[in-house]
Amino acid sequence: MPSTISIRTSLGLARQSERAVPPVEAVLALVMAVLAFAAVLIGWLAGGGSVDVPWAPTLGIRLAFALDGIGALYALVASGVGVVVFAYSIRYLPRHLVHMERPLRDGRSFYALLVLFMLSMIGLATAQDLVLIFVCFDLTAVCSYFLIGFERSEAEARWAALMALVVTGATAVLLLLGAVLLYARYGTFSVPQLASRVEPDATLAVAGALFAVAALAKSAQVPFHFWLRRAMVAPTPISAYLHSAAMVAAGVLVLGRLYPLLAPTGAVRDGLVLAGLASALVGGVLSLSEDRLKPILAYSTVSQYGYVVALYGLGGASGATAAAFYVLMHAAAKSALFLTAGAVTEATGGEDSLRRLGGLWRSMPVLAGVSFVAVASIGALPLTLGFFADELFFKAALASGPLVTLAALAVAALTFTYMFRFWSGVFLGEGPSVASPLAPGLVLPQVLLAVVLIVGGAIVAPFEQLAEAAGAASLGVPAPAEAAYHLDLRTTNLLAVGTFALGGLGLWAEPRLRPLIAGLAGVGARAGPERLYRAGLIGLNRLSDRVHEIEVRDLRTRVATVLGPGAVLVLVGALVTPSAGRYRIGPISLEDVGLLAALGATAGAALAMTRLKRHLPMAVGLSAVGFGLAAVFALLGAPDVALVAVLVELTLSLLFVATLGRLPAEVLSREARLELPRGRRLRDVLVALAAGLSAFFVVWSFTSSPRPRGPVAPELVARTEAAHAKNVVTAILADFRALDTLGEVTVLVVALVGVATLLGRGRAT
Amino acid sequence: MSLLTQVVARLLLAPLLVLAVGILVKGYTDVGDGFAAGVLAALGVIMYAVAFGAAAAERLLSVGRAYRLALAGLAVALAVAIAPMLGGEAVLTHSPPPGETPAKLGTLELITAVAFDVGICLLVLGTLAAAAGLFARSEPGAVR
Repeated sequence: MPSTISIRTSLGLARQSERAVPPVEAVLALVMAVLAFAAVLIGWLAGGGSVDVPWAPTLGIRLAFALDGIGALYALVASGVGVVVFAYSIRYLPRHLVHMERPLRDGRSFYALLVLFMLSMIGLATAQDLVLIFVCFDLTAVCSYFLIGFERSEAEARWAALMALVVTGATAVLLLLGAVLLYARYGTFSVPQLASRVEPDATLAVAGALFAVAALAKSAQVPFHFWLRRAMVAPTPISAYLHSAAMVAAGVLVLGRLYPLLAPTGAVRDGLVLAGLASALVGGVLSLSEDRLKPILAYSTVSQYGYVVALYGLGGASGATAAAFYVLMHAAAKSALFLTAGAVTEATGGEDSLRRLGGLWRSMPVLAGVSFVAVASIGALPLTLGFFADELFFKAALASGPLVTLAALAVAALTFTYMFRFWSGVFLGEGPSVASPLAPGLVLPQVLLAVVLIVGGAIVAPFEQLAEAAGAASLGVPAPAEAAYHLDLRTTNLLAVGTFALGGLGLWAEPRLRPLIAGLAGVGARAGPERLYRAGLIGLNRLSDRVHEIEVRDLRTRVATVLGPGAVLVLVGALVTPSAGRYRIGPISLEDVGLLAALGATAGAALAMTRLKRHLPMAVGLSAVGFGLAAVFALLGAPDVALVAVLVELTLSLLFVATLGRLPAEVLSREARLELPRGRRLRDVLVALAAGLSAFFVVWSFTSSPRPRGPVAPELVARTEAAHAKNVVTAILADFRALDTLGEVTVLVVALVGVATLLGRGRAT
Repeated sequence: MSLLTQVVARLLLAPLLVLAVGILVKGYTDVGDGFAAGVLAALGVIMYAVAFGAAAAERLLSVGRAYRLALAGLAVALAVAIAPMLGGEAVLTHSPPPGETPAKLGTLELITAVAFDVGICLLVLGTLAAAAGLFARSEPGAVR
């Protein structure tokens, strides 16, 4: 790591790793994020744009990207938070890698994956084609897999990465299923075209439900919420980027983008409201039950996205806009909190338990102030962006009735409680923790985010416009949302005051309610979806082991497992197909005597083999069967095939006998004398009989049906003369179907390579 | 191996090769094709190996040379396949085209299809001889 003597070192500031020049990949990533943010912002202010090129024309899939409201909002969130996180990582990552005793060049894959993730988020935000959305959706899941599992050596990290991938990846297939359903019905994958064509019916309902489930799983909503908490083993910048602002936002992004396909179905909307409010409640309770910093924030994210999902479910003129606004606010605030948690843990030498932390406002005043702003924003205090977010939330809830309003109030109060519990637990009170000074690079990014939140609290217009554009893109019609300070007694203000009051009450009551909360969390752990996931994976592993065991036990079992079920299927098929006129026995004339004799000899040789025990007679028996078949071919009038059959049979017999000769004699005699248990012998006989019968019926029905006189065979015979040949078989092999022959002989060469590799291993060189 | 087997194997080797060449060349008008010719020639080598042992067969046709023979056959076949594409025609367009009388060498007609067959023959001969040689060289119980 090249280090330069800079002004900082001469002033005696900073520590070892900060003296070094930031690695080139970090700077490159930061520059790319800044450029992406600027490009999206400028493109949006210039009125948006679109790219539309055909991708798979026969399927109607296009590479269609459009910088509309939703695209701009989510792309700005992805790139903006990206800028902040990359700036933070410049200082954070080297310390983290040193702490984990890993080489510093591991940072390359870190930044590469994060940049790829950012680009796929921007692609997902602007995509207008369902298949393209699916591809970007899965791309984010794949990046997340590698990023969560960044600490490859930790088993917990690998388990968490796999869990995230399985849950989000398996549900992403539902997204594709829904897309295919709609394509089959309406003939297009393009979202704008579908939005104008769909009518509410069963297909749309099913497709909408599938989309909704995929989005819920991605945004870690109930019952898929368990993967997010596990994903907290990832390094802090990854948690701040993926699991608060970007990847979980992909789920609600899909909800917003596909809103015209979800909205017509009332059941889907109600389901979203239910899932959202349930997640908000469950996430809040679980957040209160957690003691460590990052899990608290993880469950808080589950809860906050519950708000957004519920808002999309509530729908209407205000719902979609409010949801987009909420995503915007949450991204800034939550990533600031995650970065703060990371900084606190760094400063206190790895301490991340709420019980043991406290009183840090004295040693980290800037961080305390910054995180207060973030917490206040999520808790919807005035003068922050979050106040307007909750105002819009209450407006949408009020439009849907008293029950939803009550639930909204409860959820908002819960949010207030757990957020301030977090903040006060870390920064207030008397704590034994001692904090070392932090590098500015670990604090300044959060300051930037806090500034955005405060500025938004005063000048809400730009954020409002962005959210309105996103809402309009979802609804297809303009969706104004008047977010402003009103100093009167309107209901939303009353609800806000009620939130603060109830939240404060909750803060006071929380220590007394701790056993109850712990009990609830325990119930969830014992009977919750994570248990189901675990059991499912273990069961799947066991099944796979069982099947593998059966297959490799011995050669006879392996053959029986293939022949047995195959034969049963064919016999069942033969039984259920109508057999009138299928199996015919034709007349036997004098000329067929030779053919019958050859067939009889072959069958006799095959039967005789069942009585043989020693290996050499068995080999001879096998070649007798082969030669008998060659005679049958010759008598059927196929001399070329007969010639090749004889030659191949000769070669194989020679090789077979030679192989037997290489085995030790006592091994052969021992195997010949081996007595199989009765059950196994019975099984082998039955499987052989079944396989033989099925082959018999297949061949009989095939030879009974009149051979279709297709145009090919006589054509080939007619053209042989023109190919300068007199033997049609050779002409076919070397001329008419020469490309097939070429392919087949290439396979021979490849097989030779395989034989060489297998046999070469035993040689003493 | 007994004396009789050895004598027969040594005596049969040359005629087998001649027969293989004959089948190859006459395959276009009579029974047989490149594949059969290749297997026949390989059979001669294998018989020699069974009668005289692996070492003698190695001197006759070593595994390395058999590899190269197989690859040469593949090269010939691929050349016949790809050469027409250089002239702008479809792959594996044989010459002379239907209608034209081909050049003759005695009664043997020189057409690219026969060249393709020769390639196939070399390939099959090389593959089988190499596989048999590898087999003969390996230790008992080498394959797991």
